[in-house]
Amino acid sequence: MRATPCLLALAGTALLAATAARAGAWELDLDLRAVASDATTSVLDGGHSPTRFSQGQSGLRLGRLRLALDMPLGEVWRIHLDASAWDHSYRHPFGLTEAYLQFRPYPRNHLRVRVKAGAFYAPISLENRAGGWASPYTLSYSALNSWIAEELRTLGVETKVDWLGTRTGLPFDIGAVAGAFGWNEGAGAALADGGFTLDDRQTPLFDTVGRLESPGGAYIEPFRQIDGRVGYYGGLDLDDPGRLLITALRYDNRADPSASDAPAHILAWRTDFNAAGARLEYGAGWTVIAQWMAGETEIAPPGTTLEWPFDARYLLLSKSWGRQMLSARYDRFQVDSRNTEPDGSQSGHAWTVAYVFDAGKSWTVTLEWLHVTSSSYSWGEDLGFSGPVTDNQGQLSVRYSLGSAGY
Amino acid sequence: MRLSARLSRAFRGAAAIAIAAVVLSCALLRATPVAAATLAIAVELPDGHPVPDAVVTVQPVGRKLPPPAPTHAVMDQMNRMFMPEVLVVALGSTVSFPNSDSVSHQIYSFSPAKRFQLPLYRGKPYPPLLFDQTGIVILGCNIHDWMIGYIDVTDAPFYGTTDAHGAWSAHLPAGRYEITVWHPRMHEQTPTLVRELSIDTGDSAALTLQLTKPLRPAPMEGGSPSWESY
Repeated sequence: MRATPCLLALAGTALLAATAARAGAWELDLDLRAVASDATTSVLDGGHSPTRFSQGQSGLRLGRLRLALDMPLGEVWRIHLDASAWDHSYRHPFGLTEAYLQFRPYPRNHLRVRVKAGAFYAPISLENRAGGWASPYTLSYSALNSWIAEELRTLGVETKVDWLGTRTGLPFDIGAVAGAFGWNEGAGAALADGGFTLDDRQTPLFDTVGRLESPGGAYIEPFRQIDGRVGYYGGLDLDDPGRLLITALRYDNRADPSASDAPAHILAWRTDFNAAGARLEYGAGWTVIAQWMAGETEIAPPGTTLEWPFDARYLLLSKSWGRQMLSARYDRFQVDSRNTEPDGSQSGHAWTVAYVFDAGKSWTVTLEWLHVTSSSYSWGEDLGFSGPVTDNQGQLSVRYSLGSAGY
Repeated sequence: MRLSARLSRAFRGAAAIAIAAVVLSCALLRATPVAAATLAIAVELPDGHPVPDAVVTVQPVGRKLPPPAPTHAVMDQMNRMFMPEVLVVALGSTVSFPNSDSVSHQIYSFSPAKRFQLPLYRGKPYPPLLFDQTGIVILGCNIHDWMIGYIDVTDAPFYGTTDAHGAWSAHLPAGRYEITVWHPRMHEQTPTLVRELSIDTGDSAALTLQLTKPLRPAPMEGGSPSWESY
């Protein structure tokens, strides 16, 4: 039954692609994986492991099927649609991850203005810079950005203004960004429930985190509007294009933690955090990325308040030469619990090493090894032991890409 | 017109300081008269490696020479970069932007010497642009934000850019000249290197200009791989 909306979404997007092929650009990616994992059932499948694949899922898997369109509307407007399918069964197996309209006037008087409206990622990640919000460095995103992929999306409006120092003889630009959004009051539930993960699955718009048929039947809907409040984010960046980027951002969904959607038994999660990062690219193909995030998510059902402070950080080092790139990343992540029971608390760290080979115009081969050590209260409650657990996951990805690259 | 007048107002004071600073710095410049009929300029990094694509302009001091003849030049777009990164043209020249990429570009400049917006879509060639004011025109692309290029519009009678060996030369009539060297990624305390010298009839000179700091790194080829930039 789930195949029906999937096929309809695929057919609709393909039809749009055919229509847009002349005017804009389209991209089609098929990513197949050979997976070897010793992890228990993933959080994404209702279990506890922070990896995407479990031991039982070792073998040949669909990494991602993606179709994206980029259509100019005149000279300074464009529409972008990005739809993907992952090897999991969700409400909409093939769904939109981003869909927005962008206004992009020519810079004037040293100022560049960009306005987006629709559904898109807030400008937080410094590693997810490839098409479809993928990372060019690794298959699995950092813990910090995996959470963003699972639960955060701007459904609203964003304006970015850059003062273009590089066009006046200085070596950097300075930018300010502000966003206002709704429909993100379920964000934080997955973090408090399963903790951080390290995977590359992005929750489609208005879809769920975790399988609908997961053990216990619980699933999370991050894209809900419950109390009508408007969330916001605001940030600053300093950019020496292609060289150094430093960012800082404050995010607050301003949800009322005491509000709930009673018929659906869904609470509003008040989630706010600060994030900062730096990306340095230097000659000879070296890239260094560091990102940090710290905040809190909270609910307040009648008679109590439950809070989960969290923080995550990572350091990535990458070296590219010719058609090859080797990257290593170290993650640390933690979720605390200020409740009578430490439900949802988690602590862990991870190493990710990936080798990417550009095998031609359409083929990319990636070999990745992920090693995660984590402990959580849930482990102890459900599995009967509380010590840290180590998970290993190896993936060999072969990706075939087609596209018009016409815009 | 001297370079200090061609650069933006913010650069003028610094250019004047540059003249004094360069004269005082023996390490920065060394002039070696040799028996030849040309002026030969070499631009080097502190470690002695050559600096290609540096703009050299030569202005007469105390007299006027006929302005350079306008030409037609090409500033191409290849692999989402400007090619060449730096172009110097005579005042009144035209420049075409052919776009050799398979993607579209939207070239712009808000530099005082030339303000324009130029959509370059595939299969739609655009007529060349006229550059009729001296100054440095900084180019950008409204689609690929990392793209940056430079067109130096000059009325100096002798001008050019250094080759792969960091060298440039010209035949000059006798007289006193001000020689200016500029590169957009120069990291010196002053935006230009300036030197005056005299050449008598039949003489020639070789001038080596050595930067005190390395150039700032060039932008990454192809820039960010983000879809945002398509």
